[in-house]
Amino acid sequence: MPDREGTPERRRGLPISRATAIGFATIATVLLLWYVLTSATGIIDRNRFPSPAQFLAALQQIISTGYAGGTLVEQTLQSLWLVTTGFLVAIAVGVPLGFAMGYDRRIEAFFNPVFLLLRPIPPLAWIPLAIVWLGLTDASKIMVIFVSAFVPSVINTFTGVRNVDRTLIEAARVHGAGRGRLVTEVYLPDALPMIFTGLRLSLQASWTTLVAAELVGAFLGLGRVLSIAYRDINTAMILVAMVVIAIAGALTTQLLALVERRVIRWRTL
Amino acid sequence: MSDIRFEGVTKVFDRGGTPFTAIGGIDFYVNDKEFISVVGPSGCGKTTLMRMVAGLETPTDGEVKVAGNTVRGPGPERAVVFQQFALFPWKTVYDNITFGMRSKGATKAERDEAVAYYLKLMKMEGTENSYPHQLSGGMQQRVAIARSYAIDPGVLLMDEPFGALDAQTRTIMQEELVRLARVNPRTVLFITHSVEEAVYLADRVIVMGRNPGRVREVIEIAGMREEEDWTSHPIDDVMEMESFTHLRGQVWRLLREEMGGDR
Repeated sequence: MPDREGTPERRRGLPISRATAIGFATIATVLLLWYVLTSATGIIDRNRFPSPAQFLAALQQIISTGYAGGTLVEQTLQSLWLVTTGFLVAIAVGVPLGFAMGYDRRIEAFFNPVFLLLRPIPPLAWIPLAIVWLGLTDASKIMVIFVSAFVPSVINTFTGVRNVDRTLIEAARVHGAGRGRLVTEVYLPDALPMIFTGLRLSLQASWTTLVAAELVGAFLGLGRVLSIAYRDINTAMILVAMVVIAIAGALTTQLLALVERRVIRWRTL
Repeated sequence: MSDIRFEGVTKVFDRGGTPFTAIGGIDFYVNDKEFISVVGPSGCGKTTLMRMVAGLETPTDGEVKVAGNTVRGPGPERAVVFQQFALFPWKTVYDNITFGMRSKGATKAERDEAVAYYLKLMKMEGTENSYPHQLSGGMQQRVAIARSYAIDPGVLLMDEPFGALDAQTRTIMQEELVRLARVNPRTVLFITHSVEEAVYLADRVIVMGRNPGRVREVIEIAGMREEEDWTSHPIDDVMEMESFTHLRGQVWRLLREEMGGDR
């Protein structure tokens, strides 16, 4: 009788730690290169790009005394709050709508024309309208994030549900499953990988849009830090804001990936 | 009592605007607890025939009746075993086997008992918490068969269930199915490409023809099996018996005539 295939542990194994080592080596090289090109040799003009020392000074400044109207923690929390709220509202509406459109062609036929009209509009083009409607408030930014994060979650959920394995649906039906069990035990789990792809794209879109919206007009937030630092021609502070945005974006993406692994546990076992 | 009655069953598909007759008027009767194998050249509509019993397709004309009732949709009294197993990848072996039982409102104790029974029968103890992708193809198909048996259906429909398995596993599964069918007799409609498999398993073999799909001939197997006592011999020995090779040859000749256009 055929036995089970090799365990997943053996298939993953060592290469991951080696990849991590190479990754650290790359980062170390880049940091070293940065130091050599700026502080050590001065090949790059420090007015164009800060040295590591300038970067650390700017970082310390924004952490302790603050910059552009708030400390680093305040600025970051403001941006995180906007991204999280906009993203959650977008997926709370987008995923169920995409699901309904994938499940029922009548619902698709009803909503599709609206999508065809709205999709070609770049999300950032909504910023002026959002500001006119809601002012330079949190609400206007959440609205723009909503618009940008909404579309990928709808489209990917729709695709995931529409492409559910027909044989599995039939297998469920011939074993007595009604509509409710079909949705929760076949459509949803089969579509989950695609739904999470949509969520990832939505989260990325949320960050992109947030920074753009804060650049245009905000009283607090990492985008605000960027725009003030740009007016001050403070390249060190620009770099600090960019790095913090990158880290915050990466952390939220990792959090989402963690949720995904929890939810789709059966795939990784 | 779960007999199947085909009454003038016709199925016409729309193939890009032009109608295509997959099944052209089939009248046939399957007795309660009878094992029927269906063989035929590809395109003869044997899968369509099975899907109409399952309620996954509706006849264009005529009726399929199971236990006297016209089939109007899928139902747990007519379980299907699919060629590609069709197990739910996100469910454990336990949850796959008991999927249909839960539709019928089985208690936890009943489900535990059924899983223990089928895993023991198939020598798969200890796999209840495994996921399908952790099992071999043969084991996956055993789970799929258990899932169908577990809801206690009057009719079992099998669409080339061993078609995706390697030859060795296939032989083992054929023997196991015979064993299972003896402890747990059901009305079975078994679709296959393999003449050996059809003759070995069935009480009667239907040879279908195509253009349009129809019943070409029905070969009786049950009588010879009883007489020569196939069930008490291993499958390899049976396949070398003269009674077996004779019936196999008979089915082969009919099939070859039907496939004439292909050669």
